[in-house]
Amino acid sequence: MADSDNDSGGAHNAGKGSEMSPREQDRFLPIANVSRIMKKALPANAKISKDAKETVQECVSEFISFITGEASDKCQREKRKTINGDDLLWAMTTLGFEDYVEPLKGYLQRFREMEGEKTVAARDKDAPPPTNATNSAYESPSYAAAPGGIMMHQGHVYGSAGFHQVAGGAIKGGPVYPGPGSNAGRPR
Amino acid sequence: METNNQQQQQQGAQAQSGPYPVAGAGGSAGAGAGAPPPFQHLLQQQQQQLQMFWSYQRQEIEHVNDFKNHQLPLARIKKIMKADEDVRMISAEAPILFAKACELFILELTIRSWLHAEENKRRTLQKNDIAAAITRTDIFDFLVDIVPRDEIKDDAALVGATASGVPYYYPPIGQPAGMMIGRPAVDPATGVYVQPPSQAWQSVWQSAAEDASYGTGGAGAQRSLDGQS
Repeated sequence: MADSDNDSGGAHNAGKGSEMSPREQDRFLPIANVSRIMKKALPANAKISKDAKETVQECVSEFISFITGEASDKCQREKRKTINGDDLLWAMTTLGFEDYVEPLKGYLQRFREMEGEKTVAARDKDAPPPTNATNSAYESPSYAAAPGGIMMHQGHVYGSAGFHQVAGGAIKGGPVYPGPGSNAGRPR
Repeated sequence: METNNQQQQQQGAQAQSGPYPVAGAGGSAGAGAGAPPPFQHLLQQQQQQLQMFWSYQRQEIEHVNDFKNHQLPLARIKKIMKADEDVRMISAEAPILFAKACELFILELTIRSWLHAEENKRRTLQKNDIAAAITRTDIFDFLVDIVPRDEIKDDAALVGATASGVPYYYPPIGQPAGMMIGRPAVDPATGVYVQPPSQAWQSVWQSAAEDASYGTGGAGAQRSLDGQS
């Protein structure tokens, strides 16, 4: 999987004629994505110099490492192996990014609700492992709203699954994330 | 917050004499005064813009239904997280949450940087604008090592040169209206800014917020780009 990620990254950058080596480019998010987001914050007639884009690329990687490091320390203190969304939100609060936490909490909650829907669908097919039991307990609020919710969720899950197949094929990273990535993310 | 404001005051005190000729004239007199009105206005403006930004983000995130389309690639985020050897296992939700967090981070950093470019009457965002934003913002302290001292030094030197009394260049009268964006007009009677420098930025945000199809188009573009790669 690591090799696949690396190759994909390299090919991606080579296609865009990046001057950085594939290995080094892996340390940053793609400059095109970063640039597109930057433009959303600027008036239409504003321009962005290349060194400004590259500087922001470096800043974003530093931001990820900064938050991840703090979250990782917390997990180690608590003898946990897996960094989850709440750890990241805690780290952001600790490091002064309180403004980010409020919008991200809602975002994470909605994501988990969708994951919960998948879990319900999965449970209908297979016996749930102990880990799923933990997840189920964690997501009990949305599950508690079950009866009518299940009906809606079933349809939604189906549609989501269909879209996911398309997205997975297009992005190429898709198959990695829900399958192996998902397993890697949860202890067995 | 107080410390942050004080830092901004200091930085602003340096920066203000640069872009505004009127303030420049008043700057020499106001240097002793400490916090002249034009700077106060700038501070309020920045705070207003950032409040608008966060308010907009809350609204936008509430409408998110699709967690498959991200502005940033999850695999790359995960790789950056794993660069730290102490990081062992990462849940599936962590890169997804980071994709959104990084977007907020890029937007905030860019907005704060653009404010500096506007103060210097430029329409191209440069590295030293980002350096200035990092210097002025407490939560960006961890980024100080990323921008060389030269950038910050150049900025200070530039401000110093302007403050020394070098006259500020006035754009030609015939300049098109579009070019006037970011150029403040001061009402001589009251001294209040008639036209906010970031009017264009605000209109961009408003149109983005109001136009739902814009987002859809963006998503489509994202898909096609991903398909190509």
